[in-house]
Amino acid sequence: MFKKILIANRGEITVRIIKACQEMGISTAAVYSEADRNSLHVQMADEAVCIGPAPAIESYLNQERVIQVAHQMKAEAIHPGYGFLAENADFARKCEQENIIFIGPNSKALRLVGDKIRSRQTMEKAGIPIIPGMKSLPSAISEFKRAAQRIGYPVMIKASAGGGGKGMRIVYEEKELKSSLEAGMREAKSAFGDESVYLEKYIEEPRHVEFQALADNHGNVVHLFERECSIQRRHQKIVEETPSPALTPALRAKMGETAKKVIEVSGYNNAGTVEFLLDKNKNFYFLEVNARLQVEHPVTELTTGVDLVHQQVSIAAGENLSFSQDVLRQKGHSIECRIYAEDPFNNFLPCSGKVLFLKEPAGPGVRHDSGIYSGCEVPIYYDPILAKLIVWAENRKLACQRMINALNDYVILGMKTTIDFLQDVIRHPQFKAGKTTTGFITRYFDKWEGKKKSEKNLEIALIASAFESLSGHLPRKKGKALLEEMFSPWKSLGKWRIGGK
Amino acid sequence: MDFEFLIDGKLYKISLEKKETGFVFSDGKKIQEVNIHSISPHVISVLIEGRSYRVFWAQDKEKRYLSLKGEEFIVQEPEATQEAIERREEKSREDELMVRAPMPGKVIKVNVSENEEVRKNQTLAIVEAMKMENEIKSTIEGYVKKIFISPGELVDSEKPLLELGLKE
Repeated sequence: MFKKILIANRGEITVRIIKACQEMGISTAAVYSEADRNSLHVQMADEAVCIGPAPAIESYLNQERVIQVAHQMKAEAIHPGYGFLAENADFARKCEQENIIFIGPNSKALRLVGDKIRSRQTMEKAGIPIIPGMKSLPSAISEFKRAAQRIGYPVMIKASAGGGGKGMRIVYEEKELKSSLEAGMREAKSAFGDESVYLEKYIEEPRHVEFQALADNHGNVVHLFERECSIQRRHQKIVEETPSPALTPALRAKMGETAKKVIEVSGYNNAGTVEFLLDKNKNFYFLEVNARLQVEHPVTELTTGVDLVHQQVSIAAGENLSFSQDVLRQKGHSIECRIYAEDPFNNFLPCSGKVLFLKEPAGPGVRHDSGIYSGCEVPIYYDPILAKLIVWAENRKLACQRMINALNDYVILGMKTTIDFLQDVIRHPQFKAGKTTTGFITRYFDKWEGKKKSEKNLEIALIASAFESLSGHLPRKKGKALLEEMFSPWKSLGKWRIGGK
Repeated sequence: MDFEFLIDGKLYKISLEKKETGFVFSDGKKIQEVNIHSISPHVISVLIEGRSYRVFWAQDKEKRYLSLKGEEFIVQEPEATQEAIERREEKSREDELMVRAPMPGKVIKVNVSENEEVRKNQTLAIVEAMKMENEIKSTIEGYVKKIFISPGELVDSEKPLLELGLKE
């Protein structure tokens, strides 16, 4: 097993990985940008090194520097977390060349699954169902136009190197195609350094259902069931759960086997997620492999009892999977909410600033994976995710109620967050009924205005505020006056006056 | 002692007096006994008519944030904001015509040129922040009077991007 792992990331996921390493007796090395000196991951790691200025391109994305620091700190392996270098095949390749173990898939598999066009071709050949779309990367706008006509509107623009919704656009008519392509390409370029985009059929009212897989270096592959991530805003997941209310045991088994086949034909190892779209007639289509630890991995952990970060590290260290498919079971129900520093009342604009006070929710079945603390600064430079709130309960109904209570019990003062919005999402009758599709937020929350605050709570807020002014301000004034009296030079100057002669 | 507080732009006048047995609260209509304890620097416990409320609070300059039972209130004292309100009113007309960056970011594209006529909701520029593109739209029908930015430029929050003019 490794003695030391460098974590090439920041925020809540780095904290999560540090905790797993501590449990495994592995020491941790953190890297940080100049904007992150006071971040939680730096405080929690055994060692920490500054790798550059605030912009990610000059720090967390600086491959040479990360590798140099890994050598300098004698780390045998690098865990990339999610985002940043996590799905960068060049970086994985460099690690291999430098004899540093990249905790993730091998660079060849990473290159294949990261290339959406080539991976679709591979899957199609292997008999995996895929969504109708472009079979090669086009260069001219006319090619896009022809392809869109063949596929049929609406079509979806997707970034070839992408993930996480960046660069994605839905186009309903031909006249929107050009401007949407331009915007998609710019977003792809700035998020991934690669502006390649392609088109595919946009399936209306779909569910996003993904399967977690683990593959060791010796050919053993298991899946750890599904996660439903249909609740998305701007194609970015905000609520995830497992089991999916849409799957039957038979469909689950079929999709799980398909997911394993995807992993096998890709020559993939370590943890990966196979994403599918499930249409209303329960047809499923392969979307892509997310070649990383997913943001939403905790819901799988809570329902299967498998720690995915421990598994990633063990697999990377060359160990065999210690369990087979037939012992894996789903137990109970788990839901995750992503807590973002975004303003729901202002088109979800990302916010930066200071967390004046934090009270984390706690209690039976409540897990909080967080990168924040009371007094921390949230910089503007990175993804605005602050934390993830995850609950587990015996069934979906209880899990919903537990999540609503936990969100109610969650206090972040000084920052705008998505907590209230998420609470209304979970409370929504259509969510409670399990009728979740990727269009859910647009359909039911387009004109969300927040809940009306109670008069009684407002009165209590006034009372508490008056109490604070009464007890806080008065003694301070007295104390200050006293100090001024003691040290005031005017007191000892006698009759001298300013400007006096 | 009398207090004036602003919450969501609305003024509330209340009084809170310390008595031997606890506190007495009045909002002008009713008078109530309140039991209030400071639990820790950010937590206040309020018992009123036998009901219990745990209030979390923090102060940031003139803003006081309070949270209880999952609801957040931002309380300000009117003196601190009177000046700000006047300033805001004065500027509101001018502000409508001045298009500012909603947050720090990078200008990706400027979609209009000076003297060009613009419709309401027309995209004027695209500013990227935290890896997402945000379209800056016109709130009025008019024309572009002046452009202060160019693609690639980094902008701070509230930085003027363009100035619009109303059609004669």
